[in-house]
Amino acid sequence: MTAAVEMLGIRKVFPGVVANDNVDLSVEEGEIHALIGENGAGKSTLMNVLFGLHHPEAGAIKIRGNEVHIRKNADAIALGIGMVHQKFKLVPSFTVAENITLGSEPRHRGVFTDRKAVHDSVMEISQRFGLQISPDARIQDLPVGVQQRVEILKALYRQADILILDEPTAVLTPKETRDLFGVIRSLVANGKTVIFITHKLREVMEISDRVTAMRDGKVVGVTKTSETNPTQLARMMVGRDVLLRVTKTPAQPKDVVLQVRDLQVFDDRNLKAVRGVSFDVRAGEIVGVAGVEGNGQRELVEAIVGLRPAWGGEIKVKAKNLTTLNVRQRREVGVSCVPEDRYVRGVALPASIEDNLIVSNYFKPPIAQGPLLKPDVIARHAQEMIETFDVRTPSKDVPAYALSGGNLQKVVLARELSAQPDLFIAAQPTRGLDIGSIEFVHRQIVNARDRGAAVLLVSAELEEIMSLSDRIVVLYEGKIMGTIEGARATEEGLGLWMAGITEATPEVAGSPEVARQLVAH
Amino acid sequence: MREKLRTITQLLRNAFGRSIGILLSILAAVLVGSIIMLIEGQNPLEIYWLLIKGALGSQRGLLISLQRATPLIFTAIASTLAFRTGVFNVGVEGQFFIGAICGAFVGYAVKLPMIIHLPLTLAAGFLGGALWAFFPTIMRQKLGVSEIITTIMTNYIATFLISYLTNYPLRHTPTTPETPPVQPTAQLAQFVELSGGTIGKGTQAHVGIFVALLVVVVMYIVFKRTRIGYEWRMVGLSFPFSEFGGISLDRTFIGGMLVSGGIAGLGGVVEILGVWREYKDLFAAGFGFRGNLAALLGGQNVIGSTIAALFYGGMEAGALGLEWSAGIPRQLIDIVVGLIIFFMAAEGMWAFVRRIKWVRGARAVRRTTEDLEV
Repeated sequence: MTAAVEMLGIRKVFPGVVANDNVDLSVEEGEIHALIGENGAGKSTLMNVLFGLHHPEAGAIKIRGNEVHIRKNADAIALGIGMVHQKFKLVPSFTVAENITLGSEPRHRGVFTDRKAVHDSVMEISQRFGLQISPDARIQDLPVGVQQRVEILKALYRQADILILDEPTAVLTPKETRDLFGVIRSLVANGKTVIFITHKLREVMEISDRVTAMRDGKVVGVTKTSETNPTQLARMMVGRDVLLRVTKTPAQPKDVVLQVRDLQVFDDRNLKAVRGVSFDVRAGEIVGVAGVEGNGQRELVEAIVGLRPAWGGEIKVKAKNLTTLNVRQRREVGVSCVPEDRYVRGVALPASIEDNLIVSNYFKPPIAQGPLLKPDVIARHAQEMIETFDVRTPSKDVPAYALSGGNLQKVVLARELSAQPDLFIAAQPTRGLDIGSIEFVHRQIVNARDRGAAVLLVSAELEEIMSLSDRIVVLYEGKIMGTIEGARATEEGLGLWMAGITEATPEVAGSPEVARQLVAH
Repeated sequence: MREKLRTITQLLRNAFGRSIGILLSILAAVLVGSIIMLIEGQNPLEIYWLLIKGALGSQRGLLISLQRATPLIFTAIASTLAFRTGVFNVGVEGQFFIGAICGAFVGYAVKLPMIIHLPLTLAAGFLGGALWAFFPTIMRQKLGVSEIITTIMTNYIATFLISYLTNYPLRHTPTTPETPPVQPTAQLAQFVELSGGTIGKGTQAHVGIFVALLVVVVMYIVFKRTRIGYEWRMVGLSFPFSEFGGISLDRTFIGGMLVSGGIAGLGGVVEILGVWREYKDLFAAGFGFRGNLAALLGGQNVIGSTIAALFYGGMEAGALGLEWSAGIPRQLIDIVVGLIIFFMAAEGMWAFVRRIKWVRGARAVRRTTEDLEV
């Protein structure tokens, strides 16, 4: 069997960095090949070379045994290579069919787009590969997972046999990820070859046939998935053992810090997203909020932080009612938060690291004196934060967009934790981060707890919730399905709650109010 | 040290990239302008030479340039401030006029010693402009109405309101619609008056330029060194981030617009007190819009906008000189200025030059930082 793709001795240099150094990659026809490595390891660069977006300084590429010269993107497409980028390249106001055929539309007498042919051909390929989609829906109305499907169809429409998926699960919910995996399997069943870039080891184990691991621009290992395990892969990627399970001592919960009672919150569409939620978080414990995304987690966090009004119920921190306070007043009470939208709320991308670090305390001493800011204090503060939180940045003055995701999250953590919060909320704190950064973030969360903060951890990653939380509450359709001690939780049990099945809840623990509320429902 | 050096080179590179853009725009405008002049049967080289000489070639030319630039500095800073907080204040024009009429009224109707009267008059102009900016801002924040539309509309209201005021209640002479002259205690001295005729003969350049430069310095410091300046900058760069950080968006937007309108109004009253000394109906339209353009030209920062305003003033002075000395219609110069703005605004034309550099630069930075990661 000849290899579908063979890349030999690829070398690609960017100013100051060797992104690919003598890289070999071989992908068999009809296999799902995982390309793993941390951010900056050179995975995307390698794939961009294959897709004709970068020109390598050295190396050769063979497609189905024939040596080819991919000079531009169109060459790669002509060779049957398709790529789904991390950031989708879709026109939001166009329909699915228009997006798929854009640029190579069936023509009517050479001038007008043949709308019927467009519609039909999209229907045809979507049926052939079992990708359910409505050709006439507009992209802007579709959830992320479906948009991704459109990207895949786009590649298939252009007769791609080799599909590159660049970190396709980074933006997906667990359910969407499962759907995607189904799609990938059906693609392979239809004779396609898939290259799957990721740094999530569980996904590698679940979906791939073979794995190539990269580190610092080099290939550090190639293996069959069936002959490896996550620990070995992790070691390959980072060159050392990674604590996939965070070490922490048993919690020593003290006084109640956060008290939520019968909270009701509306979402942007004016639908009730949080419907009567009650729970407590005590000082010195981590309470994990598990649940499939979109079950009210976002609205819950926003209501506590003060970005969204509580329509009913009570939020108290240290016995102080928050519902009438604004964001700043809540922060002054002792609330800190790592927001879900790192790039939107967590940092101001065009602003400097320095400016990003002071947004929650610029108005008070020691940063400010009266109406004036103190530049030397700000500079020292920034330098200190960069060192304490190990932010890898050329300087405190570079704009945030120059930093990688992991380093940006460190900036957010530095700012939010340096306030010594009594209540620390971490919403999807490790989404899209590489293993090294994930470990760092996890350690910081545990440290905050050990320092005596009440920690509310919201995450769609079950593994994360289970390894960090002292107590776990599960949200389903805006209600708490159940509460359980972290140590007693099982993936299956949580999974049932996340699916909205209440009968199977022998392990209900937590505050009596919660239990009562559960009974009431 | 190394890091400082890197920051400095980065700043220089940015400034360089931007200057290249501006220079290319000016060059392109000059070229297209030349073609128009040739069609008109004029010698472009001669016209450009006269233009530069008119603006900079004599003490008189320089002072006229300054006088012309003075109101533009105010309106350019006012627009810049709004831009930086993320608001497009097209209402600078109207705020300028309302400031002027308020100042003119306090200037003639009140009798006080200069030390109180002059500041009071300036304050009246500031407050007038701020008030005029208040309505569109509150509509934006509370009702979600686009400020671009409301500020354009308030410009019309300002124009007609002032027309009414100068034609009826505040009218001084039966022949022309204008207010009574402002008291000497509220006037800003012209250089020719101060020097007894030795400096600035034949010009109306006045000490208002120092007020303008003071505003520039103050705004520069405010942006760099104050809490409110930080709020303005952050809200302008990312309001979701600012909101999350606890900055009150309402307060920042409204505050920024009020100060923006105030500075525009201050520009209006300074122009009245220094040059006109009474409010003539529609004494000079377009200062606000040209201020908007100067702010765009100047890259929406305080120093850049000031330079752009001075440049604009110089061009106007040169154009005036041309009209007097060579009988060339100043509209020709307006065309050239318009072309410069056009080419500047057509960012796409120069963006590719900068984007290539920028992408390369950003990519390099990104790669290095990613590489640094464990």
